[in-house]
Amino acid sequence: MIVVLLILHGLLAVGLLGAITHQALSVLPLAAAKGPRTFIGRFRGVNAPAYATPIVVLFVVTAIGGALLYPQYRIDVRPALEDMQNAAANGVFEIKEHLIAIGLGLLPAYWQLWQQPPENGATSARRAVTLLLAFFVWWGFIVGHVLNNIRGLLP
Amino acid sequence: MKGPALKIFSMLFGVFYIAAFYFDLALFRYYPEARQFHWARTDGIGVVILWYGWIVTAALASAAVAVAVPRSVAERLSPRWVWIVTALVVVVTLIYERRYFV
Repeated sequence: MIVVLLILHGLLAVGLLGAITHQALSVLPLAAAKGPRTFIGRFRGVNAPAYATPIVVLFVVTAIGGALLYPQYRIDVRPALEDMQNAAANGVFEIKEHLIAIGLGLLPAYWQLWQQPPENGATSARRAVTLLLAFFVWWGFIVGHVLNNIRGLLP
Repeated sequence: MKGPALKIFSMLFGVFYIAAFYFDLALFRYYPEARQFHWARTDGIGVVILWYGWIVTAALASAAVAVAVPRSVAERLSPRWVWIVTALVVVVTLIYERRYFV
């Protein structure tokens, strides 16, 4: 059961990572490419506001999946990392916990900023909040995968 | 909670979360080996998870402030503060968690 949940959590995280990366790149103030549209241009040329609600849903559902998996980590994985004297691995995971929690709290304002037409100050706030969320998701994704495979990665 | 209040909630959530973490203000504790929730510290039943409690503490505290702040005040608050305060919370968190890497 825990393996099924772990795989489901990973798959949801892939969807979230893709969605937030599309949206984050779309809000970056990059110069428009001239000539034929580039891969980056097409990647960021999405209907960014349409991504906001799916990102909120995916973030919450993925976080709930992580919360359900957390007891197994706390009982089995964390003590093993401590036995290996791998404090850094526990550290990056603890930071992941904090960033995901802070990200959950950020979601209401993020969603609201994407629902309204940008006003004074709202465009930069929308961009910054989106980039913060993208950072949280990338951190969580990379740390989750590294820790999941840590026994194979470390000698 | 409506429009402007959501801004207040999101701006304060990170602050309350990190305060709950630093000052050990988890609303409740979960002991996964015993599969039990407790309001207070309970020794002898294995490792404890405080993360759920920190999140609920932060959510309740920031929701309470968001509801209490008058709408006119909340409307005047620039949305920039949401990301500025959150970014500061992240920086403080990363500085504090350096303890794992030294």
